[in-house]
Amino acid sequence: MSCELVGRDLDAYLDRELDAASSVALREHVMACAACRRQLAQREALTKLVRGAPYYSAPDRLRARVLAQSSRSNSVRRVLPWAAAAVLALSVGAGMTLWPSASSGGNVIADEVVSDHVRSLMANHLFDVQSTDQHTVKPWFLGKLDFSPPVVDLASIGFPLVGGRLDYVGGRPVAALVYQRQKHIINVFVSPEGDDRSPRDVVLAARGFNLRRWSHNGMSFWAVSDLNSAELGEFASALRAS
Amino acid sequence: MHPRVFDEIVLPHLDAAFNYARWLTRNDAEAEDVVQDACVRAIRFFSSLRDDNPRAWLFTIVRNTWYSRVSRRAHVAAGAALSDEQHQWPDDALDPEERLLQQHTVAVVRAALEQLPVDFREAIVLREIEGLSYKEIAAVVGVPMGTVMSRLARARERLQAILMLVSSKETLS
Repeated sequence: MSCELVGRDLDAYLDRELDAASSVALREHVMACAACRRQLAQREALTKLVRGAPYYSAPDRLRARVLAQSSRSNSVRRVLPWAAAAVLALSVGAGMTLWPSASSGGNVIADEVVSDHVRSLMANHLFDVQSTDQHTVKPWFLGKLDFSPPVVDLASIGFPLVGGRLDYVGGRPVAALVYQRQKHIINVFVSPEGDDRSPRDVVLAARGFNLRRWSHNGMSFWAVSDLNSAELGEFASALRAS
Repeated sequence: MHPRVFDEIVLPHLDAAFNYARWLTRNDAEAEDVVQDACVRAIRFFSSLRDDNPRAWLFTIVRNTWYSRVSRRAHVAAGAALSDEQHQWPDDALDPEERLLQQHTVAVVRAALEQLPVDFREAIVLREIEGLSYKEIAAVVGVPMGTVMSRLARARERLQAILMLVSSKETLS
């Protein structure tokens, strides 16, 4: 085997992709040729080095989203016929409202809040300001909103503040505060109370998410998360009391 | 389709898919978007998964997803065009392989890899980091095995040249 051939086959040899006969020939040549030996050593060193390059693991939120997607595609397929039947059954019982105080617009806002929540997770736009520091998040809203949302960190009871962003509910800009409970994201939408005519205290579940709505000190709050209803209630009570 | 089949067969390769996408895009947020879109497609086309290599199958979808995004944006990442120029690394009297090993931190290797044209970078990542065979790489990238082999060789030469350059700069400074 010539040096030229070694140069051509070196990588395949290192990658264990060279056939047996050529491998033997290459090894024999390398034993006798210092220049090729050095080349081989360089490539081996390079390979070792590159295998130490960073391995990027999928973020948990991506995993959660993909899981949600796959289970949704399964459940849609299996549940659709049943859902159709259920809607039919419901419409027979006319006058029945799916949402509390649907007439006051609560359902519309709740639906929008869920959509905002989902979008914030899907579109990878959870934060405009990412900080666990309430003294960073609160001033960030200055000049972006015509009100100042109360911002508190609840890390001490297991609901750390992770950031905030501007979002829209009912056609007006609102403050979205982002909290976290383990892997679960909680979005809290805050706006002046006068802008939101939803019922004052609401406990809802919609599209697989739990919602809480309350008012406090002239502000309207919507909390939405895939967190279970009990823990979201705990979170809502803590935020309200703070 | 068995309800949990996708989760069991494809999802275990999510890390690999993200790693591959992250190296392609060189950006966390974009890699996430690409993998998310790719998984939506993978769920939709799950029934088309015939062979026993869901990882390579997922890589192919990730790759196609990324390329369609890039072409939609009508700008291919800088340096993406392949060059056929042959790189000669400096003929050095010292033991360059030793120097490489000792001097280069993970950050330097990462930066060097990220400088490579995307086709080269991809070949190295699939081979060295994901451990795919030439045949699997050929299937993912959609080129003959001979091309995989020569591309890998050139990619390594280029990478080695970049790292040597870093070394000599460090020595000078």
